[in-house]
Amino acid sequence: MVPRDSIQLPERRATESPQVSERRAAESKGASAAHEISALIAAVFDSLESWRTEILSTLGTSTTPAALDDVVSRRVLPLLTDDALLIGAGFIASPDYVHGRDVHFAWWLGPLESGPIFGSTQEPTRLDLSTRGYADYLRDVRGLEWYATPAATMLGHVTGPYVDHLCTCDYILTLTLPVLAEDRMLGVIGADIAVRRLEREVIPVFLTSHEPLALVNADGRVVVSGEASVAPGSLVRDATSWWDCAGTPLRVVSLGAIRDNPS
Amino acid sequence: MGKDQPSATRVGPAAREAIFAQLADAGRAEQVARRLTDAIILGVLEDGERLPSETELARRFGVAVITVREGLGMLRESRLVETRRGRDGGSFVTSGTGHEGALEARLSTVSRVELADMAVYFATILGGCAERAAARSTDDEGDRLATWLSGASFDSPAAARANTGGFYLEVAVLSQSPRLVREQIRVQAEYGPLLLLALDDSTERESTARVNASIADAIRAHDGERARELVLGQLDAHSRGLLRAKDALDREAVTSGPTRLHPAP
Repeated sequence: MVPRDSIQLPERRATESPQVSERRAAESKGASAAHEISALIAAVFDSLESWRTEILSTLGTSTTPAALDDVVSRRVLPLLTDDALLIGAGFIASPDYVHGRDVHFAWWLGPLESGPIFGSTQEPTRLDLSTRGYADYLRDVRGLEWYATPAATMLGHVTGPYVDHLCTCDYILTLTLPVLAEDRMLGVIGADIAVRRLEREVIPVFLTSHEPLALVNADGRVVVSGEASVAPGSLVRDATSWWDCAGTPLRVVSLGAIRDNPS
Repeated sequence: MGKDQPSATRVGPAAREAIFAQLADAGRAEQVARRLTDAIILGVLEDGERLPSETELARRFGVAVITVREGLGMLRESRLVETRRGRDGGSFVTSGTGHEGALEARLSTVSRVELADMAVYFATILGGCAERAAARSTDDEGDRLATWLSGASFDSPAAARANTGGFYLEVAVLSQSPRLVREQIRVQAEYGPLLLLALDDSTERESTARVNASIADAIRAHDGERARELVLGQLDAHSRGLLRAKDALDREAVTSGPTRLHPAP
């Protein structure tokens, strides 16, 4: 994704028609929305970056599950308060990092309000994959996008929006960063953001624009929509103007054409 | 949820708790038998594992000891557990049994009307998931679903059950609806053990694998109507298979036992 958070706007001229100035206003709203979303995601990646540094400096390239859990939980738990932006966070260690084990999950979930399956919780809980017996068919989580993509690109990645059936059973974005030492990936450090919580941050920004806006991923999958006829989870492929959220695969698209010409 | 739980066992404490949760009033001995049978089919209770004592089971289920004893008797008849006497005695999950005993035991505790209704409800949820998946999945997602499916084995009953359940869940995930995913997980946990027993039959396994592939194709082609129809057809086949098996069992009971046209006074 090419960073494009500094959109070049031509100088405003006195003779401009109202339509043109309206479009320009929409343009700047879209750009500033993309900029704000970019900053919000970057702040989470900054946290992940600092956890990564701490893991590498305190544990090095070989550790035990207990030591890893200790370091990760001390950083993660304070962030998983009620109503926090993050609803889950932690570290997923590759098998050869935490020796003698399968993929090791040092992952915690924030308080979950509605849990028809797992019940509701007031306190953060540790992810216990053994309670996800229905996911037995998943023999290896290393094939999943939030692990596989950082492993392949050695870069941070935003997965989703998707229904996460392993942790929260919610519609979420997962941010992951590879933890690398001597060209070896020790695992991924990551955090989950619930779309319903992200919406609260994004919608107020979208509402300052007269033109309806939506936040979509690289496939055009809608994360947050400011237009009633475009549902979250649906695909928008024919947007004519958009603004990339720098440093993420997300972009803000204008839905003006969709509103004006409903199919 | 347990902390620091090693992932050695397939199903964790929550599932175990659920098995031993208290039972409702009607047909309690049958319910004891049904709960424990499901647990054995799912592998929550493993081969050779000793069950809690009769007193302990009675406490957990909230029933009388005699009711537990009756339920365990049904499991013994189906050769799912055996009772050993002595200091190291107790009821043990019989090791080395296939699911045949379990199928018979489970079928005997469920009525035909419940069985048919289970399949209808399951198919409605999963059919809705498939329809939404066809509407909402990207080409890449459709391709990944098909690739996953082509690598999944349907050769043994256990593999066919796990992978069919996994396929259903993947379809639900593609719907992009958390509520549908939760409901699919719930119906799969509640009815899956019974409905997917149909996969003990090798013909059923082959046709299930084939129909699963067609469902994936319909989703890739964004043909929601066809995807839903295929799901409905598949669940209908599962339920018919089980109803036939139940029919055979009932007939066997009729020919071997005393015929009684009127209920005893």
